[in-house]
Amino acid sequence: MFGYVRPLRAELRCRDFDLYQGTYCGLCRCLGRRCGPLAPATLTFDCTFLALLLWELEEELSLCAGRCRANPLRKRSMCCENPALEWAADTNLMLAWWKLQDTAADDGLWEGMPARALGLALEPAYRRAAERHPDFDASLRENLSCLARLEEEGCPSIDRAADPFARLLQSAVPPEHSQARVLRQLLYHLGRWIYLLDAQDDLEEDRQAGRYNPVTARYGPQGDDEALGLLLDLCLEQMGAAFQLGEYGQRRVLLENILYLGLPLVQRAVLDGSWARMKKEKIWRNSP
Amino acid sequence: MRDPYSVLGVDPQASDEQIKKAYRELARKYHPDNYQNNPLADLAEEKMKEINEAYESITKQRAGGGRGPQNAPGGYQQRAASQNPTYIRVRELLNAGDLGTAERLLNEVQQRDGEWYFLKGGLAYRLGWMDEAMQNLAVAVQMDPQNLEYRQALASLQQRGGGYRPYGYVNTVDGLDCCTSLLCLNCLCGGGHC
Repeated sequence: MFGYVRPLRAELRCRDFDLYQGTYCGLCRCLGRRCGPLAPATLTFDCTFLALLLWELEEELSLCAGRCRANPLRKRSMCCENPALEWAADTNLMLAWWKLQDTAADDGLWEGMPARALGLALEPAYRRAAERHPDFDASLRENLSCLARLEEEGCPSIDRAADPFARLLQSAVPPEHSQARVLRQLLYHLGRWIYLLDAQDDLEEDRQAGRYNPVTARYGPQGDDEALGLLLDLCLEQMGAAFQLGEYGQRRVLLENILYLGLPLVQRAVLDGSWARMKKEKIWRNSP
Repeated sequence: MRDPYSVLGVDPQASDEQIKKAYRELARKYHPDNYQNNPLADLAEEKMKEINEAYESITKQRAGGGRGPQNAPGGYQQRAASQNPTYIRVRELLNAGDLGTAERLLNEVQQRDGEWYFLKGGLAYRLGWMDEAMQNLAVAVQMDPQNLEYRQALASLQQRGGGYRPYGYVNTVDGLDCCTSLLCLNCLCGGGHC
């Protein structure tokens, strides 16, 4: 998706870092196995968070050794496959595929070529994933077309504009999940947060291209960092309130790091303009 | 009922002081104030009840040790009495989480007064539509500036930094600026063995 959902490395304990990297690498391998050799190129931090969040409590956490796809000389310990990882891998691919379509459409005929090509190459993988998760596929299509309609109308309500993406992310919780209610509430506000933050991030670009932007539509061409900051803070607050009602076992500290440290840091970086530099930084250097 | 000690997350050998501390932290976490008008308020209430019962049963077991629970939940959503039967019904529906019917009833109202905007704001809040919630509450306050209920609802949204945070996460980030933390990321990652 966007890479906004990441931990604050400096505040992670070693074992939580290992857990994060194990999940990230495990998800990468899982993507390759399920969706083909190109799929790991779409791996995101956001879906690593999703995998950690959806992990069922009774599911054992076991690490196994594997080779890194980006650098096969490097051995890594990675999480073995489990239902949460598989679900997150499919979700990752499906979201990435739609994002590619969106980029291709936004960037025009020439500039959008790489996105279009990768999109075409991943289409069979998307179709297979959609067959495995028809409900999520239907929710994606419905919410994205709703979003496109609102953007076309130039929707003045920032809440209404953010709703389809929030619902879309909400449907990334499998209905049979033991904590579905809590996680759906959390993901609704995460989706809202991502959508609003992305709109703020694209403010300048959208203005130049003359595209619809929900922040501009609500607050005028310059946006309003103060008011938007408050809305984003309220999203974080709602996420925290939902999160505290769930059980996460040994993943709790890592998830809390992401929610209470990682997200606020990214939010401030987007608001003060330092995000462009920050997002290029890898969470780990010298590693995949 | 679950073992009261595991509910509070403490060892059965823990001292009274430790138990009280664990209880207070949990009570802070699940306090009704953190879940006012939240769609998950019922889950938080259950948790609160569970920890209250656990604390009570432990203090009873340890005869002569400590007091009973403070902060008993319930009754926190006491709202000012409404005159209009539609509004009474809408309040009930909002509390029960039937947002669709509440919205339909509200939209049928012709005379839109302060309470209408207040309830419309409450509905938006339940949906997670915080901008519209604030806009409607602001209109309600404007139309009826004397009403404490409206003013409190608006203020609770506009106050920053509300909500529970676990120990160790309270304002930690505010002390760091982005550059410093990025630098930390780089230094730590430079080792190569991570």
